[in-house]
Amino acid sequence: MIAFTPLLGLYVLVVAPSAAAILAVIPNDTVSELATRIGSVVAFAAACALLASGASGRWGPYLGLDPLSEVFLFMVTGIYATSSWYSRGYLRSISRPFLTSQIYYALLSAFAFAMISVLIVTDLGLMWIGVEATTVASALLIVLERKPASVEAAWRYTLVASAGLTIALFALLILYTATGTLDGFALAAAPPTVTLPIEMAVALALVGYGTKVGLFPMHTWLPDAHSEAPSPISAMFSGVLLPTALYAFLRVYRVLPTPVPPLVSNLVLAFGVVTALVAAFLLQRQRSFKRLLAYSSMEVMGLAVIGIAVGGVALYGALILLVAHAFAKSAAFYCAGNVLRGAGTNQIDKIRDLRGTMPWTGSAWVVAGAAVTGAPPFGTFLGELLIVVGALASGAIWVAGVVVVAILVAFLGVNSQIGRMVFGEADPETIPIPRGEDTGWGLAYLNVALAFAIGVAALPYLTDALRQAAVLLGGSLP
Amino acid sequence: MTSTTEVVALVGVGILLTALYLQSESFVDPLIRGISIQSLLLAVLLGWLAWTERSIDLALLAGLAVVVRALFIPYVLRRQIRAFRWRLREIHASHRVTGHALAAVALAIIAWFVFQETLASVFPQPGAALPFVLMIQGLLMLATRSNTIVQVIGYLEEENAVVYAGALFAQAFPLFVEVVVFLDVLGVVLVGVILSIQRDVTGTPEEASLEELSG
Repeated sequence: MIAFTPLLGLYVLVVAPSAAAILAVIPNDTVSELATRIGSVVAFAAACALLASGASGRWGPYLGLDPLSEVFLFMVTGIYATSSWYSRGYLRSISRPFLTSQIYYALLSAFAFAMISVLIVTDLGLMWIGVEATTVASALLIVLERKPASVEAAWRYTLVASAGLTIALFALLILYTATGTLDGFALAAAPPTVTLPIEMAVALALVGYGTKVGLFPMHTWLPDAHSEAPSPISAMFSGVLLPTALYAFLRVYRVLPTPVPPLVSNLVLAFGVVTALVAAFLLQRQRSFKRLLAYSSMEVMGLAVIGIAVGGVALYGALILLVAHAFAKSAAFYCAGNVLRGAGTNQIDKIRDLRGTMPWTGSAWVVAGAAVTGAPPFGTFLGELLIVVGALASGAIWVAGVVVVAILVAFLGVNSQIGRMVFGEADPETIPIPRGEDTGWGLAYLNVALAFAIGVAALPYLTDALRQAAVLLGGSLP
Repeated sequence: MTSTTEVVALVGVGILLTALYLQSESFVDPLIRGISIQSLLLAVLLGWLAWTERSIDLALLAGLAVVVRALFIPYVLRRQIRAFRWRLREIHASHRVTGHALAAVALAIIAWFVFQETLASVFPQPGAALPFVLMIQGLLMLATRSNTIVQVIGYLEEENAVVYAGALFAQAFPLFVEVVVFLDVLGVVLVGVILSIQRDVTGTPEEASLEELSG
């Protein structure tokens, strides 16, 4: 019997998705699908085991773990697993895919591997390579459905995200020159004396990684890529890619001592506030339900960034929000994928009466919609509440006000549109959905149930890890 | 005897001039030649530094700059133009180039001052502000141009800026060669894969509304 050790867990996390990616290219649909499913579940099991072990430390010059990385690994592998299982039904509905299913599954696992690699390294340069690798692995997945709009989305995603990441690389060059190391764990343990160049490096990292997080005004790739990608990939984009990029920024941000110098924290706060507000209002105008969900993700990232900037208990809230949102938003995208598959359109005005035509998907979507927008008692509600409380506790009453406004506006925008599609009466303009299309909703319920559980109970290991991660980042606990 | 300072200054001025030239050009073929020349100038600098400092890493970076960014990617882009003659000039940019050029000069001056005020204490090397200026120029090109090929050129300029910065003041940056190789791979993916997908999906030029991205 082999005893589980953190190093073994790390090896499994590296080997499972990479082996799945390699096996997936075997020209047999069943093998590639099975390899991906098994690889993703094994990776998720390893992440859970690491979370349960509570192991922190470093192995060799480049590998390392702490509660923050374990929480993010849990999120990434969880959504990787559910998206892998959801993909089969979705792929079958695409009439003339641009990629074979083997290539699709290989890229899916490569995409997950790239995100995992960001989370298990201590070196900020390697972390940067991992974030950039997510672009390479996922860009082609966006064009799966062979639509001109998909190509435009993939193009914009690659170009805008890469341009942003070059700025992040510039930030790392400055940081390295100023401190002599890029070891994120070492820099966090012994923060260097704050100088203007180091503050400049963090500010540039905010702009650079913020591009991938979807912060305004660098967000232009986000709505296109999320809406044009196949739904399982949209779930990974919204649920875990954006938080993974935010994680990379957090590692640079941690180089600064707590309390963070006001020049930088105010800049981070400004980006968060503007992003949350702009996204909340922009989502009111959306006609595509996938773009609606994309803007909702952008709003949530804005709120999380506000929590990071405010610090204290708001930082803990931001971490809870990110985890709960990942599962809730992936559930919402699986429902969107079911509807897209059944109706053949993503136009909100063309979809009505899902209650009658797709009762399981419709009800899951209503619940997931409530979950992503912070309705009680989901984990997102708890996270957003703590951000507001944290802002009030720090005396930033206007920030609390802005957060409440963004939450309410986004809540109304998302849920009114989903409500119209589910409960609205069908009319001659709407597209009838044939019976028998109401499949693939189980994973949506599974993920939304987890977002619910995070809000109502202290989950074994996960809650502890979230609390430790918040303290590690300089936050405080309620 | 030519000193490193003189080479850095000479090549820096050349790179800056190519950057400003790229902002003021709306024909695509000269733009491709421009980025090719800029990459060659960078390769000269890298080669000189590799020679004087006996650095294999810098020699490798010089080789990559020549092979990938001065020759291969420009060659692929030029083939795209040959296949689609209508790509020879940006459709909507011709009347805006004067504005681009002025904005580029203004931004270059601002970027220089920002660098001097914030980073010069850590980077006292002569010409250290130039990579920062070049990065801003690349961003300007990406933000203001809608032609897909011109956007690739903007991306290459960004990459040149990072390599330039690494060569001037962060030669010991860990994994720098690997990072640059990675950026080059991404550049090749951008050019080779997505442009060909675009052609495959959008079909004839008449249907290629994607040529000028909007929004």
